[in-house]
Amino acid sequence: MWWKALSIVLIIYTILAGMLVPLKSGIQRAEPAFAKAGEEVKFRFYGYNTFFQKATDAPIRVWLYYDDQFALAASDFKALNDTILEASFRFPQQLPERKASTSLNALIDHPVAGASLLPAAVYLSSDSLAQTDTVLANAWTANPVKQLHVQSGFSFPYQNVIYESIRNTYFHVPMWFVLLFLFTASVWYSIQYLRNPEPENDRRAAAFAETGLLFGALGLTTGMIWAKYTWGQPWSNDIKQLMTAVALLIYLAYFILRRSFDEYEKGARLAAVYNIFSFASLIPLLYIVPRMFASLHPGATGNPAFGSQDLDNTMRAVFYPAIIGWTLLGFWIAQLRIRYQRLYDKALGLE
Amino acid sequence: MHWKNLFPLLRKEFILEFRQRYAISGIVLYVFSMVFVVYIASIRVSPPVWNVLFWLIVLFASINAVVKSFVQESGARQLYYYQLADPVLLVLTKILYNTLLLLVLSTLAFGAYSLVAGNPVKDHLLFALVILLGSLGFSIAFTFIASIAAKANNSATLMAILSFPVILPILLTLVRLSSIALGLIQDTAYTRDIINLLAIDTILIALTFVLFPYIWKD
Repeated sequence: MWWKALSIVLIIYTILAGMLVPLKSGIQRAEPAFAKAGEEVKFRFYGYNTFFQKATDAPIRVWLYYDDQFALAASDFKALNDTILEASFRFPQQLPERKASTSLNALIDHPVAGASLLPAAVYLSSDSLAQTDTVLANAWTANPVKQLHVQSGFSFPYQNVIYESIRNTYFHVPMWFVLLFLFTASVWYSIQYLRNPEPENDRRAAAFAETGLLFGALGLTTGMIWAKYTWGQPWSNDIKQLMTAVALLIYLAYFILRRSFDEYEKGARLAAVYNIFSFASLIPLLYIVPRMFASLHPGATGNPAFGSQDLDNTMRAVFYPAIIGWTLLGFWIAQLRIRYQRLYDKALGLE
Repeated sequence: MHWKNLFPLLRKEFILEFRQRYAISGIVLYVFSMVFVVYIASIRVSPPVWNVLFWLIVLFASINAVVKSFVQESGARQLYYYQLADPVLLVLTKILYNTLLLLVLSTLAFGAYSLVAGNPVKDHLLFALVILLGSLGFSIAFTFIASIAAKANNSATLMAILSFPVILPILLTLVRLSSIALGLIQDTAYTRDIINLLAIDTILIALTFVLFPYIWKD
């Protein structure tokens, strides 16, 4: 019983924390996005969850920086409101490196909300390739990026394109963990059925496969909603989407196979055999094939796992309980399904 | 296991095929008809389309060739084999025989297809290897699925829905390898794909050996 209560507690925690914890401050874009060396340009930075006008004991600081060594502090800036900051930069004649153009990252440091970064915010071009070290030393290294503030408190990372939909991590990703656990349980009981042909083993194998199918469908749906907002369309023929669709087809075929026989024992036995066979071919499906094709999913090309750099500690504090909560819920649903089927079989006199 | 039974069993498969010549002729005609339909439907075939269509032809021809593996003999005769031979040996001979059959069929399909739709293959040696690996992979997966499907009444439908998801990793790897042979993608590190394919084959054949006895006993 305790684990059912735990699953409810963890899922309520996941929904509350996942939905209510705010995002960190971020910069959405800079306007204009282009600048020429040697000019003074006034930029507007559009923030997300920012408090540019909030009174603080220390000043806000704004940089456009090239790397750790070369950075340019704003000569003058003014907050128009909480989310728009106007800042002027006087670009030196030369670029930090001997190149015709480069992209600069924007960095706004707020004493309370912490530092927020927009990679490749401004594209800077130059007409001359001439470079003298003294000019560089003065203009680009006079105000290095230092003493950044870190936001205190509980918040999720801000990422461009993803924005608030980062919360879907606690709903979409755990579905795949639950799916794998449930299908593994299903295969385990299929093996048990072949060793010991008890109807109970077959009932369990079928119930776990059914629940796994449910979580697979949920994972696909939450993924498609997420993809609609981040990739632009619900279905992009991403290799993982395809592999998932195939995995679900396998288990749909498993249910058709179970019902294709007049004798119960024969259907259960052949379905168990197919379950083991297809599960073993599912592993290459999920681990070898995605490595051969580019994917839109995080975790980079060739890595089907969730990248460790995509999670920070705040997210871990919600993500891991979410996995446990959803897994326990999955096993709870499967258990109810088994008990229902047991009563049903008993009522029909099959046992 | 009595390995000496391997050759008599294999010989039996050939004799059976020879006695039921209409079945194999039917499959060969099926391949030619399909090649012709593909040709009529798309007269100018670009190499990427050629590649995909070729593997579709081979896929459907293979399914139809293998599905008869376990239904062409009566239940009484199967019971007779059950008493004589080891099930593992039996399924091994079926796989070996089907591999040869599929090899012949895909070579025929390749010949007929290149006759009507042109032959864009650049690396013939690699393409031959891909056909060989394809025949082996299809044979292993389809023979096993056919043995399950043969137990049910609607075996043709079951054969398709059970085997398509299982065959997909093999098919995707084959299409990728043959695109390399066609010069569509430049990739010299294709040995990794071949190893992947052999690994999948090994998993499937090991599972077949473990699981086939459970299908066989009725």
